[in-house]
Amino acid sequence: MRKERKIDLRPMLKPQSVAVIGASNNPDKVGHIILNNYLEEGYQGRLYPINPNDEMVMGIRAYKSVLGIRDKIDLAVIAVPAAIVPMVLEECGRAKVKSVVVVSGGFAEVGETKLQDKIVAIANKYNISMVGPNCLGVMDPRSRVDTLFLPTYKLTKPKVGGVSFVAQSGAVGSTVLDLIAGEGFGLSKFISYGNAAQVDEVDILKYLMNDDETKVIIMYIEGVKRGREFLEVAKKVTRVKPVVVIKGGTTDAGVAAARSHTAALAGSNQSYEAVFKQCGFSIAKDLDELLYFGKAFASEMLPLGDRVVIITNGGGTGVLTTDAVYNSGLRMAELSARSRAELSRSMPSTVNVRNPLDLVGDAGIERYDKALSVLSEDPGIDMIIVIALFQTPGADEGLALRLAQYKKAIKKPMIVISIGDKYTRDRVVLMENEGLPVYDSPSAAANSLAELLKYYKYKKGIV
Amino acid sequence: MEYTSAAKLLKGYGIRSIESAYVRDAESAIKFSKGGKIALKGISSRALHKSKAGLVKLNLSSKEIEPAFKEIEKRSKKFSPYRILAQRMAEPGIEIIIGGRVDPQFGKMILLGLGGIYVETFKDFSLRACPITAYDARKMVSELRSRRIITYGGRGSAQLESLLLKASKLIAQNKIGELDLNPVIVREKGYDVVDIRILW
Repeated sequence: MRKERKIDLRPMLKPQSVAVIGASNNPDKVGHIILNNYLEEGYQGRLYPINPNDEMVMGIRAYKSVLGIRDKIDLAVIAVPAAIVPMVLEECGRAKVKSVVVVSGGFAEVGETKLQDKIVAIANKYNISMVGPNCLGVMDPRSRVDTLFLPTYKLTKPKVGGVSFVAQSGAVGSTVLDLIAGEGFGLSKFISYGNAAQVDEVDILKYLMNDDETKVIIMYIEGVKRGREFLEVAKKVTRVKPVVVIKGGTTDAGVAAARSHTAALAGSNQSYEAVFKQCGFSIAKDLDELLYFGKAFASEMLPLGDRVVIITNGGGTGVLTTDAVYNSGLRMAELSARSRAELSRSMPSTVNVRNPLDLVGDAGIERYDKALSVLSEDPGIDMIIVIALFQTPGADEGLALRLAQYKKAIKKPMIVISIGDKYTRDRVVLMENEGLPVYDSPSAAANSLAELLKYYKYKKGIV
Repeated sequence: MEYTSAAKLLKGYGIRSIESAYVRDAESAIKFSKGGKIALKGISSRALHKSKAGLVKLNLSSKEIEPAFKEIEKRSKKFSPYRILAQRMAEPGIEIIIGGRVDPQFGKMILLGLGGIYVETFKDFSLRACPITAYDARKMVSELRSRRIITYGGRGSAQLESLLLKASKLIAQNKIGELDLNPVIVREKGYDVVDIRILW
């Protein structure tokens, strides 16, 4: 029925030229904010405001229509009322625009399915890749593409990095994006695809799979449009990079009326969960976990087994973390005889050489140094959790930076737990900016490591 | 789907179900039993829950067959048309369920769960989209909280995995709407599919 879709998201995320349709001098208009974002973020390509009334928009020469531009347009951002989107899109097609982001709402989400079908047909007719409608659109901090209609002063923009974030919902998208800005890992791509009228999660996964800048994909999904294609593509993606997913909407209607046991047990949400598992996705229960897991995967190191060592400067936190390790399905490593001998020689008598290794509250860089240099070489250890409580006298910036150095040198997953207020948070930022994942709770830390192991086992076909 | 054709369909995929036959009267049921213990089930498309309707009598010795037959016959009348199925009793084991359904998004799915009276209490099941791989089958077994029980400490894992692969093939290759193999009685070595329900 519908024309074969030829989707290419590259011109959308790496455009040489962008037209902002609906760009306006009026600061209350969405098109004003979008154009302003391009200007403020220093987009290096060619920018074309489209406005039927004004000669100039925000100091740039404006055009009445894309048809008036003598340039190839890679991306058109459409921020005009829904009723005139078909006309504008038709013009984009005739002007051979390669891709569009339709920010405008007023389509299927309010029952206007015919209007939505109309714009899909136009996009397909002209081979335009279309994200939206009713979406935030895309962001790529490398190419400085940003179609979000959110003012820069209200939303901290993430730095450049390897995590791509895909969100059907604009609200979840923008809040999590704001949180990502506070994380050490940076952003590769952000794609909020709204009604998924044409480009959907399958197209997006295909693109991100082959995108070398993307090391990890995190997704918020409410539903998928093409289940079988999703399953096939998702399996291919996890062969090359990890995907963390959170599913929104968890009520099952109609299950009670099911006639067989199987149908009564397994409703639609169970199917989603099963398919995510089948594809090797890491499943987050909430938005916190989405970021926790994403952060662990962003450091691009997978464990080869389930044995954890804990190095701590706080006894109780070490105990809580030990519990968390077992609760997550991991286990505590047994220190090798050699590690025990070396640590006994180098540690003061107040340090009990075992796992968790409690370096005691007066520990400074020196003790962490010795512990890490010995334990990172211990073949019986697969993962390292370092607890650095900065309330203690010996823990400071120096320790934070030293731990980050170890992270870079050690060939095993290493994460830090630091819990505290402002002084601690400043040190956490130091560590995270150096690529060392830091967690504020033992269970978050242990569960994140457990997800790394699950993914490793999935890739290797280990049950 | 009528029981004996369903059993034949299963057999085509290498899945054994317990020896069964429709019986017209108590005499032929006794003959079917060959002196061993049997079960009698009143079968009607109008009675979806046979046990709840009192249409199932288990573990019947030769002496018990006639009164049981008459009772089921009497209760079945209100679900007419009906037939009465005699089944050899399975050797004791653990009840599991293997199921299939069509998900509106992902198509055919296969389910493995702890079965019998525990299905709805523990809701201990795993699910995958069909067809499954050998790895999926192993994961399905290992995901269950009851995995140690239904695999007899792991010794029966291989037979369960192979059964899942066969069932997945059956679900994938036929126009099945819903499938319940419930219960399947598994022993450390061997299993019997005791009840089959296939909805198109």
